[in-house]
This record gives sequence, C-alpha cells and structure tokens, in this order.
Amino acid sequence: MRATMAIMRKELRDAFQSRWLLAFSLTFALVALALSLVQGRAGDLSEQGFNRTTAGLINLCLLLVPLLGLVLGASTIAGERDRGTLLTLLSQPISSTQLLLGKYLGLVVAVWMAIALGFGVAGLLMTFVNPLTDIGHYALFIVLSAALATSMLSLGMLISVISDGRLKAMALAILAWFVLVLLYDLGAIGLALSVSSSGRSLTLAVLGNPVESVRILAVMSLEPDLRILGPLGAYLTEELGKATSVVLLSSALVAWAALPLVAAERIFRRQDL
Amino acid sequence: MLSIRGVTKRYGSRVTALDGVSMALDAGKVTAVIGANGAGKTTLIKCIVGLVRFEGEITVGGKNVAKDGRGVRRLIGYMPQDPAFHSDLSVRETAAFYADLKSAPLVRARELVESVGLAAHEEKKVGELSGGMRQRLALAVTLLADPPLLVLDEPASGLDITARLELRKLVQDQRKEGKSILLSTHWLEDVPYVADDALVLNEGKTVFLGPATELAGAAAPSSRLFLRLNGQVAEAAPLIKGLTNGAVEDTGDWLVVSCPATRKARIVEALVGAGIGILDFRVEEAPVDAAILDLQKQAGGKR
Repeated sequence: MRATMAIMRKELRDAFQSRWLLAFSLTFALVALALSLVQGRAGDLSEQGFNRTTAGLINLCLLLVPLLGLVLGASTIAGERDRGTLLTLLSQPISSTQLLLGKYLGLVVAVWMAIALGFGVAGLLMTFVNPLTDIGHYALFIVLSAALATSMLSLGMLISVISDGRLKAMALAILAWFVLVLLYDLGAIGLALSVSSSGRSLTLAVLGNPVESVRILAVMSLEPDLRILGPLGAYLTEELGKATSVVLLSSALVAWAALPLVAAERIFRRQDL
Repeated sequence: MLSIRGVTKRYGSRVTALDGVSMALDAGKVTAVIGANGAGKTTLIKCIVGLVRFEGEITVGGKNVAKDGRGVRRLIGYMPQDPAFHSDLSVRETAAFYADLKSAPLVRARELVESVGLAAHEEKKVGELSGGMRQRLALAVTLLADPPLLVLDEPASGLDITARLELRKLVQDQRKEGKSILLSTHWLEDVPYVADDALVLNEGKTVFLGPATELAGAAAPSSRLFLRLNGQVAEAAPLIKGLTNGAVEDTGDWLVVSCPATRKARIVEALVGAGIGILDFRVEEAPVDAAILDLQKQAGGKR
C-alpha cells in the first residue's frame, strides 16, 4: 500500500509539473468565457441560455478530455521505459500491478482536479455574464467529463504498455483520439448499418465508444430532444427507454474504465525488461 | 542464499541469451559473474531480480523468483549497470521515494545519503549530478532496506581507480556484515581480491564455475607492461625473464614486458628491490574476451 501510494504521489506531482493540465484548465476557462460573452451579446440571459453555454462546454469537453486522458495515460509507462527508470522501479519490491495501479490512480486524481479547476473557473466566469441557475446540470457535466477522462486514461495506459517508446505511444494516442472523437460517429454508424441494420449493431456502436456514450448521456440530461440526440441516441431512447439507456451507457463507461486497464496489467505483467 | 538451477532465457526462437546456467551463492559469500559484452551477465541478473521470464528455477532465501518476485526483491539490493532515476527529483526526494517503495524508514534514507557522501548535495536535482554521484546515489538506494543479497551489475564500469578501490572496500565491508554479493564485472584481475567464487559466461553458457583463486590461473589474463628504466636494461631483462615466461622486448625508449596480469606488480617490486630505477611505466590490459576465449579452449566444450 505504501509503495502504491508513493507511486501515486509521484505521478500526481509529474502530472502537475507537465503543461498538459495547465493548458487544459486554461483553454477550458477561456473558451467558457468566450461562449458566455457570445451568449450574453446574443441577449439570451435566460436559464436556457446558460444551458446552451454549458452544452457548448460539453462539446469542448468531448474534444479535449479524451485528448488529455489518452496523452497523459500513454506517456506514463512508455516515458519511464524511455528514461530507463522503469527498470529501476520494477527492481524494487513492488509488483507490476502496483506500479500500474499507482500510476493510474495518480493520473485519475490529477485529471479530475484539472477538470474540477477547468469547470470551476469556467463556471465562475460564466456567472459574471449569466447568473448561474442550473447547478445540477453543470455538476452532472463535471461528473461525465471525469468519467470520460477515467476511461480515456485507462485506454491511454494500455497504449503506453504496448508501446516500446514515448514517441510511438503518443502517435498511437493521437490516432486513437482521432478515431474515437472525429471519425467514429460516421465510421461506426456506417459500419454498423452496412454489417447489419439491426438495433443490436447500433447499440454496440454506441457502447463501443465512451465519447459517444458521454455525449448521449450529456445531451439526454440537458435536452432530451430526439433530433439533438442524433441517430444513435435517438435509437437508444426510443427502443430502450431513457432509464435503461442511462444504465447501459453508464455501465459501458465503467467497463471502458476497467477493461483496458485490466488488459494493460495482463500484458505488462508478461513483458520482459 | 541464492540458488540458480538450469536457467535458460530465450528471446524469440533464435536468440538464447542464457543456456542452462546453474550456480549457488551461500550467505556471506561473494560470486563474480564475468563475461564479455553480450555474454549473458545482465540477463542472468535480470532473471534473479525477476525482471524477465525464464526457464529453470531461481530461489532467493528459499523464495521462488517466478512465483514471488515481489517477495524476492525484498531480499535483494539491485544496482543496475546504468542506474536511472527521475531527474526532476532531488537526492533527498529520490532516497525518500525509494525508501517508501522498499518500506524502509526515512531516517535510514538520510543516513545512507550521508554515508555515500551526498549530504552536501541532497537538495540537488538528480539531473544535475555527475555520473559518479549518481552511482553513489544508486548505492544508497541499493542498501536502503538492508537486504541480505546484493546484486551489482558492472558496478565498476565508468569508475576511476579511487572509486573502484572504494567499491572494493564496500564489497568487503558488506561481506563482513554477512551479506551475500553477486557482482558482474569486466575486471578479471579484480576478481581474486573481491570474490570467493567466479562464474564465467560466454554466449550464455558457463565456461568456468569455481573458486576465484583458480580462475586467475585458469584464465591467465595477460598484461603488457611498458617500463622506462634508468639505463639498467641489461640487468633488468634477465631479472624479469626469471619472474615470468613472457616476452621482454627492448624498443630503445621502453622495455615492453608481456606477462600474466597477476605478475605485473611482482615485476615492478623486483626491479625496485634490485635497485633498478623506474622512470616511468604504463600498463595495457588484454581485453576480458581474450581470457575467456582461453578458458573456453581449455574447457574444450566439456563444461
């Protein structure tokens, strides 16, 4: 336990020293300010206006949080490997599982703090323009962003373990981000429909991407309009109902946070140094 | 303390880094693992520490490396060939971090940083340390949990003669404390002074396993001694020939003596004893590979 905590503290320290978290919080706060100002100028100072601003923030989150999680996760083990410190660490009386878990937990805490800071500063800036009226939705978005970060970090760790260097890990992380965030919507739906037009393949297409799961959960909570939910979200809500959809999507997020990490641990344990 | 039985390590289907290596190391004893680059020394050490998977069996203090790697590493202080630490941590933070990983008290970390002479540099970042200082820090980290088995991979590489002597003293001190030590080295001539036993590897195979004193005779590493004398070459040459069977060549400026590495000091001592003035001298050591090839020829593939 003491060893895992030591690794976790070191990872937390490294994460705060890296520029990624600061850049994330700063970008988030600035975009939030810009969104609020645009909303304010449009004269929409109602609760609906606040919701639109937060919806804009969610879109920003769906772009930035996966990138942050994947890049930070991918640089952990591969970075230690590049620096030669992985051998020093694993020659201590700790298991590869402890090392992986300590690093993962450290990153999760760091990214959660960065998200809280980013959303916190953004929320504060937004209240100067539009009075904060819907804290519930805002809090839910923070939770969803944190869940997305947790699953992306897990995937990032898997990428890190299978990469023999930091450069390769970064390239794979950015490729994964490109596929999950930018390509997936069109690609997966197209593929699902071409393989089978059944509801099962569409459902699998949603659950196969945590970014999509978070997007649908966020929109569902904010504005359960079938047009805004998109084809996958609309299908889920219509076929399974809102409650079942929420449970299914949340379970998918949990699985995405756990399964890549378990796979990373299995592979890491079998690797030679 | 350490038992290695039939350890084989293959990388893919073509590369066999270790081929059926066996040895035992008792408590309070020192074994030197000798071999040229690529002989399998580091691979053997990585097997012992549980950093690579292997065929065969290794136990440390009765614990099986393959089954309880973490438990085994509690008993081992391992110093890698090129110790790498996080360059952003200070010396003090590094020692404290590894004390946490080894469940060692923080006060022990402070004591060791002091004892390896880094107290004045404890706030320096590891990235700012010289190679020698980093080696000292690695030594402090190795000793943190007061392990009964020390595994030192090429600890003398990159060290100057003073540091090598300090290292030799450290090995002797640790042995006196009852620790078992396994060290890999290129320095064949050091072996009889620091080790009880020697294991010589070539291409992953054992070519010699036995008392270190026997190795000196068996391997007979050679040296070339260059002597600039105070004009008494005619007297010196027969004296040297009487001490060694090697060749003595007079090049005019230098008297070049080819001799077993273990005899070179005796030659200098004899010349001084005979009142022959030595104005200057230098030594060229034959590479360890040559001595190992000799051993392999002597073994004739029987080992």
